[in-house]
Amino acid sequence: MDFEFDEDQRLLQQMVRETVTKSRSLPEEELWAQYRELGWLEAPPVELAIVLEELGYVADPTPFLATATWFAPLAGRLPEGSGTAVCDGTGRFVLDADRADEIALVTGDGVVVVKGSDVRADRVAVFDQTLHVAHVDAPGLVAGVPDLALMGLAITTVGSCRRILDMAVAHVKQRVQFDVPIGSFQAVKHKAADMYVAIERARALAYFSALTIAEDDPRRRRAAAMAKAAAGECQRVVFKHGLQLFGAMGFTWENELQIYLKRAKAGDLLLGTASEHRRALLA
Amino acid sequence: MRLTADPEVEEFRAEFSAFLDANLPSEQEAVPRSKSSADMPEWARRWQRTLFDAGWLLPGQPPEYGGRNATLAQQLAHLEELSRRRIYHSFNPQGLGIIAASLLTFGTEEQKRRWALPILRAEITAALGMSEPGAGSDLAGLRTRAVLAGDHFVVNGQKVWTSGAHDADVLLTFVRTDPEAPKHKGISVLLIPTDTEGVVRRPFGSITGPEDLDFNEVFFTDVRVPRENLVGPLNDGWRVANGSLGHERTMLWISFAERLEDLVRDAASDAEWYATLLMDLQALRLLGYRQLGGDQSPAQISVLKLLGSEAVQHASLHALEERGAEGLVHPAFTAPFNHMNHEPFISSWFERYVRSFAGTIAGGTSEIQRNIIAERILGLPR
Ligand SMILES: Cc1cc2nc3c(=O)[nH]c(=O)nc-3n(C[C@H](O)[C@H](O)[C@H](O)COP(=O)(O)OP(=O)(O)OC[C@H]3O[C@@H](n4cnc5c(N)ncnc54)[C@H](O)[C@@H]3O)c2cc1C
Repeated sequence: MDFEFDEDQRLLQQMVRETVTKSRSLPEEELWAQYRELGWLEAPPVELAIVLEELGYVADPTPFLATATWFAPLAGRLPEGSGTAVCDGTGRFVLDADRADEIALVTGDGVVVVKGSDVRADRVAVFDQTLHVAHVDAPGLVAGVPDLALMGLAITTVGSCRRILDMAVAHVKQRVQFDVPIGSFQAVKHKAADMYVAIERARALAYFSALTIAEDDPRRRRAAAMAKAAAGECQRVVFKHGLQLFGAMGFTWENELQIYLKRAKAGDLLLGTASEHRRALLA
Repeated sequence: MRLTADPEVEEFRAEFSAFLDANLPSEQEAVPRSKSSADMPEWARRWQRTLFDAGWLLPGQPPEYGGRNATLAQQLAHLEELSRRRIYHSFNPQGLGIIAASLLTFGTEEQKRRWALPILRAEITAALGMSEPGAGSDLAGLRTRAVLAGDHFVVNGQKVWTSGAHDADVLLTFVRTDPEAPKHKGISVLLIPTDTEGVVRRPFGSITGPEDLDFNEVFFTDVRVPRENLVGPLNDGWRVANGSLGHERTMLWISFAERLEDLVRDAASDAEWYATLLMDLQALRLLGYRQLGGDQSPAQISVLKLLGSEAVQHASLHALEERGAEGLVHPAFTAPFNHMNHEPFISSWFERYVRSFAGTIAGGTSEIQRNIIAERILGLPR
C-alpha cells in the first residue's frame, strides 16, 4: 500500500489551508457558498478528509460536515442546500438538524429523505455555542451510521487537535516564567510530544478509514470505528495538556483555544465515544 | 494514497516467500538455541549464509554484500515476510543491522572486506560498544580513552550493557580520542577484536534470570588496536554513532509491530485495551508506510519508536493483569512453538511485560524520544 498523499492531494491540502485561512472572518453563508463553489462537497473520501481536517483546524461554523458525511452517503446525493442525517436510531443530538434543508432518516423501511421543515427538530443548548445539534422527532428510526460520518467526525477532531497543539506550542515558546520560556521545561515538552504522537496516530487511522471507504475495502467498517476511537483518545490527551499548558489564559473566553477544545471534545462525544467504538471493535 | 500493493513489490515479496518455503531450516536442524545476541549455532550460521548467497540477507545492498539493490518498499516487504513468519534472518542482530551496516556506510574497502563481509556471511559475530557506566542516554559523555601512538591506538576504559560481547568476535567500540574538544567532537570508532590482549568481557544476568547472559561489562586495559581499525575519520565518531542508530532505527518499528502482532495472537481479549492494541498496531504500520517514501528524519523515527515501544508495554501489562495471579507462573508457554524464534514461546506473561522495557530503554529511552520530538519536530527550546 501507499500511505502518502500524491501530488494532487498535496496541492489540494495547500489550497484548502490557504482558503480557510484567508476566509476566516467571512460570514457563515459566504463560507458555505465558497465551499460549494470550490466543489469540496463532491470530493471523494480521501480528498474530503483533507478538506475536513482543515475545517476542523478552523472550527468551521458551516453545515459542511453533516452535509458531506452524514447526509450524502445515506441519500446517495448532495442535498438542495444543506443536509444531515438521523442515523444512530435515537434521533437525539443530530448535527445541524435544526438548520438542514434536507434530512436523511434511517428507518426500518430504509433511508427516507425529508425536508428539514417537515420534521420537528429542537436545537439543544450546548457548551459550544457555535455547534448546532438538535433532537429530531421521527418514527421508525433504526441505527445505520455511515462509515463516512465516523471518519468525518474523526478527522475534523484531529484537525481541531492539531490547532490546539499549534497554539500550545506557540504559547510555550513565548511565555516566560522563571526567566526562561516555559517550553524549555521538560514537563512541558513531554506533554507536547505526547500530544503530537496522539495526533499522528489518530490522523493516520482517520486517513486509513477514508482510504478504505474510497476503495470500498472490506475493512472499512472496522477502520471507521478505529478512526473514531483514536480521535476520541487523541482529544483526551490534547484537551487535557492543551488547556493545562496555557495556565489561566486557557480558562478565558477571550482565548480562541476554548473554541477548538470544545470542538474536539464534541467530536468524541457525538456518534459514540472512544470507549463505545473500542467495544465495537471487539464485537 | 492507495491500498493496493505495488506489483513490483508484490513480485519481490512472492519470490522471497517462495525462497523461504524452499530453504527454511527444518525443525530437526534448528535445535540448538542461540544463547545470546552474538551466539550463533552452526545451523543459524548456515541459514544466514544461505540468505547472503541468494541476495536475501540485506536486499537493499548490492549483490556482493548479500543484497539485490532492492528499493525501500521492497526492503520493507522483505522484513514483513520475515516478521510474518517470525523468522530471524540473523541471530546476531546488532552485528548485521548496526555494525555491518555501519561499515558498509562508513568503512574503507578493506574494512568492508575484512570485517563487514565475514559478519554478513556469519563467519564472525559482532557486538556494539557504545554505552558506559557514565554514558547512557548521554552517549557523548563516553570516556573510554584511545590514544594514537604511531600505527596503533592504545585503549583504556570500560563499556557496559554490551549485548552478546562474550560471544562476539569483534566490538564496534566508541572511544574518546580528543579529550580537549567539545564532547561530541572528540569521539572516534574502533573495531576491536575481542581476543586482543587487555580486553576482558564479563557477562551478567538480566532481570529475567542469572543464566540469561547477554549483557556484558567490557574492560579495556592498554589494548593495542591497529590504526586501520579506525572506522570513519578521526574524531568524527558522532556522525558514525548517529548513522549506526539510524540503521538500528529506520525500520525498527517493524520489530514493535511484530511484538504487537504476537500480543494480538496470544492475548486475545474482549476488554477494551485489546481494541487499543489493534489500533496501535494499525497506526504503527500506517505511519511506518508513510515514512517509507517520505520523511525519514531521525525525529520522525522517534515517533514510531515511542509509539511502538509504549504500545507493546501497555498491551503486555494488560495481558498480564488480565491473568491475575495466573500471570505469576513462570516459566510458562504463552505463544505457539516456532523453531526459528523461541522468544515469546518460552516467556511467561510476567516476563513478556518485563521484556517490553528493553523497548522503552535501549536505543534511546522513551523520555529521550519525547525530548527529540519536542525539540526537533515542535521546535521547543533546548
Ligand atoms: C536490553 C538492552 C540491551 C542493550 N544493549 C546495548 C548494547 O548492545 N550496546 C550498548 O552500547 N548499549 C546497550 N544498551 C544500553 C542502552 O543503550 C542504554 O540503556 C540507554 O542508552 C539508556 O542509558 P542508561 O541505561 O544508562 O539510562 P540513563 O541514561 O541513566 O537513564 C535513566 C533514566 O533517566 C532518564 N533520562 C536520562 N536522561 C534524560 C533526559 N535528558 N531527559 C529526561 N529523562 C532522562 C531516562 O529516560 C531513564 O528513564 C542496552 C540496553 C538494554 C536495556
